[in-house]
Amino acid sequence: MKLPAPPTERSFTSRLHSAAVTARVGSVLGVCFGIAFVTGLISHYAQNVSHPIPFPTHPAWGYRVTQGLHVITGTACVPLLLVKLWSVYPRLFIRPPKGLRARVVELVERGSIGVLVASSIFQLASGLSNSAQWYPWDFSFRRTHYAIAWVALGALVVHIAVKLPIIRGALTTDVESAELDRPEATEQGALSRRGLLRATWLATGVAVLAVAGGTVPFLRKVSIFAVRTGEGPQGLPINKSAAAAHITDAMVGETYRLDVVHGDRTVSLTRHDLQAMSQRTKSLPIACVEGWSAGATWSGVSVRTLLDLVGAPDNTDVQVYSLQPSGPYRHTVLQGNFADDGRTLVALELNGEPLSRDHGEPARLIAPDRPGVLQTKWLTRLEVTS
Amino acid sequence: MRARVPIYALGVVMGLYGVYLLLSREGSNAGLVSAGTWLVVGVVLHDFVLAPLTLGVLFLGRHLVPKHALRAATVALVVLGTATIFAIPVLTGYGRRADNPTLDNRHYWIGWLVLVVILLVAVLVTTLVRRYSKRASPHATHS
Repeated sequence: MKLPAPPTERSFTSRLHSAAVTARVGSVLGVCFGIAFVTGLISHYAQNVSHPIPFPTHPAWGYRVTQGLHVITGTACVPLLLVKLWSVYPRLFIRPPKGLRARVVELVERGSIGVLVASSIFQLASGLSNSAQWYPWDFSFRRTHYAIAWVALGALVVHIAVKLPIIRGALTTDVESAELDRPEATEQGALSRRGLLRATWLATGVAVLAVAGGTVPFLRKVSIFAVRTGEGPQGLPINKSAAAAHITDAMVGETYRLDVVHGDRTVSLTRHDLQAMSQRTKSLPIACVEGWSAGATWSGVSVRTLLDLVGAPDNTDVQVYSLQPSGPYRHTVLQGNFADDGRTLVALELNGEPLSRDHGEPARLIAPDRPGVLQTKWLTRLEVTS
Repeated sequence: MRARVPIYALGVVMGLYGVYLLLSREGSNAGLVSAGTWLVVGVVLHDFVLAPLTLGVLFLGRHLVPKHALRAATVALVVLGTATIFAIPVLTGYGRRADNPTLDNRHYWIGWLVLVVILLVAVLVTTLVRRYSKRASPHATHS
């Protein structure tokens, strides 16, 4: 039996496989990749322990906006990338050219495209999975998503440099013009190129609406694929439950203490001690790396007030410890500028009620403009090393 | 060409920095193998499963969908196809956890079906409007 011959570039005759489509969708995709990259860098920096340039505490909603934008533009990239790849799909089947030099050049170009496509798909797939807290992999998400982002953006910059003349040519001629087309690409399908572009913008708009409600409150009802409804105990969703963090009744019972430490000075505070101190109420959003966020009203004692009890100097980093026995966020660092901000609280109440267990009872950290994973729950120790 | 050399250089440096980050900070070999697998599997799934599948669906569509509805149906396919793909993590529900009912807590399949119904209605309405307006003005040209 003779197998059918594999397809070649010429087997694809649709007019939609055209640089006119690729350049237009690619331009928008490039902008979205750029936004996702920059907001991703911001998020990565915000989660770093050391901040040579202090991460700002103003505006309080800053991280909420940048991380929301990160996940929304990332999702919007899915239809854009799929249509773009579709428009160049025939190029996958180009036969290798004759001559060694030409072959090497072709191989390098294919290699760079391969890196770009692989890293792009990787970023979108891993990002979307992570936002739904589904981790079907063995790598560290934060490190790997960050590393591959550099690979993807580097490959994108090289790609733009290689294709610049084609991009310029395609964007300066009419989208339906056959000037730059392959001679075989003449088949008029159900959609015109303009039609395909409109369909792509529509699909991108649907993608944005389908997830934006995770962070934009008035879109909650229409965001059918958002990872959160925005509901939860005390009006706020939970990222990690007390059960998942192995918090027991005994840990938060009578023996509970919040230790505030500076060098050899330690003040141990009971729940009652904390309640007896001067309370502040602040409206601060909680914004998670998964792209969901929600506003809430928190009441508690300002971190600065607590640090003053042990004479901790201004603008020094605070080591923050949770009761949870393990996990990467059991111990975090609260940078000096966050510790000194009057809005940074050891919160005891959420939306007018004592914190529920899943929200960090008896006390949690809440600071402005900070990733949710660093808003440590079930606080047990604040330490300034002298 | 020469003017673009700095852009190439910038891209190559960024890409190599990413590779360096990956190799130096990924804690374990298992992590590297897993990342490598994901990188390869994504491309293979797209190029040899998703794209051929789309070609197949378009081929079937051309033969099964009435001619008047084909344009609107193709638009609907672009919207529904891409939305279904980015919704895979929530539709499969692997991220759900019994201890946290606030996570992945929508009725995603109902949402998906609502999207299907909206698109079906849109296809039907635009097709009927097009047919009607064609009959009403037989000399009008349509692209």
